[in-house]
Amino acid sequence: MPEMTEEQRKALEEKIKNMSPEQLAELQKQQCIFCQIIAGKIPSKKLHEDDTSLGILDINPAAKGHILLMPKQHFAIMPQMPDDIITHLFTVAQTLSQLQLRALKATGTNLFVANGPEAGQRAQHFLLHIIPRREGDNLLAVEEKMLDKSYQKSIHASVQPRLYELLGVKLEKPAEPSLSQPKIQPEPKPQDQSSIEPSPQPAAKRPSKEDVSLDDIANLFK
Amino acid sequence: MKCDYCEIIEQPNHTEILYEDTDLFIIVKDMVITPGQITIVPKAHHPIVEMLPHPIMEKCALLANKVSMALFDIMGGGTNILIQNGLAGGQKVPHVAIEIIPRKENDNLPLQWPPKQLGEADLESTYSLYQEELAREKKQPVDKIAPATSTTASAEEKPSAKKEKVKPDSYLLKSVNRLP
Repeated sequence: MPEMTEEQRKALEEKIKNMSPEQLAELQKQQCIFCQIIAGKIPSKKLHEDDTSLGILDINPAAKGHILLMPKQHFAIMPQMPDDIITHLFTVAQTLSQLQLRALKATGTNLFVANGPEAGQRAQHFLLHIIPRREGDNLLAVEEKMLDKSYQKSIHASVQPRLYELLGVKLEKPAEPSLSQPKIQPEPKPQDQSSIEPSPQPAAKRPSKEDVSLDDIANLFK
Repeated sequence: MKCDYCEIIEQPNHTEILYEDTDLFIIVKDMVITPGQITIVPKAHHPIVEMLPHPIMEKCALLANKVSMALFDIMGGGTNILIQNGLAGGQKVPHVAIEIIPRKENDNLPLQWPPKQLGEADLESTYSLYQEELAREKKQPVDKIAPATSTTASAEEKPSAKKEKVKPDSYLLKSVNRLP
């Protein structure tokens, strides 16, 4: 992706401030290399294409055969995407994972999403990575560590209320790990697609004061 | 011998369980890559991701998004969604799971990779391997995973996931089944 100079960036920011949502979406499309690939303006090696998604060979892969699966519509991160596009991408990813096993004789795969630059997201277009793996390739070499019981509990207590709110499920005994079975199905009706703004900002709020416990935990655990 | 996830699933009110419905569990595991990591586990025992029926995958994906949003709200930063598939993919338990991993700037988790610079010849040879396989599948369709139906329909069904006929990718399956 081309780097911008400080001046160009400032001018762009100014321009963006005065734009309507439609203009903004259009600008994002023009700036986005993946939108140009989708539009056929930049050539790619296609492995899957349907009305809403495109799967191509990554030219700068983690491993040979790395596939990038993307929605045709421009979204930066997953929380901006309508439910039907999310579900579609993940089921297509299953078949592409299978394709990697068969075509490349891969002995494993990773399905990987990075939401936000902190998570290693480098493209401005949402990408679902499907990465063929082999023993000893040393990719995504994560190690698991034992989490102290009390930390485990406090994570549980901090995440549960917000998660239930997002799921539209009532929490009967707040902050109590032993929950009775929620009766409600997890999916509140998908939002109207038109209500999803093409905002380039992640929908993330900064942590509020009462939630600092998680940060503290994260710092203790290196 | 039971797999680790099936064991958790069979204990009612297990402390690790954050959420439960007919098809899946959301848990806070004690072995994690980083604190705040949340795991989505389908209830039915499917060893590898290729075997997971589409409707369950759809549901897992939507919940992964909600968990990701919850972590954004609570912790700030970003998130990774990761499925480790097969031993070579880092899978530890022979039961499909989706990890949602909270990320912070400079947390130094090895969830990145140096992009390889591949030459055109390398890309072309990989691409032709894929195309040969796709052509083979066109002639002789591989056993598809369960048909994609709507999530809402599946939500009402009992998790009788044993019904679907799946012919897994045998090598991968055998290898994950050797997991303790």
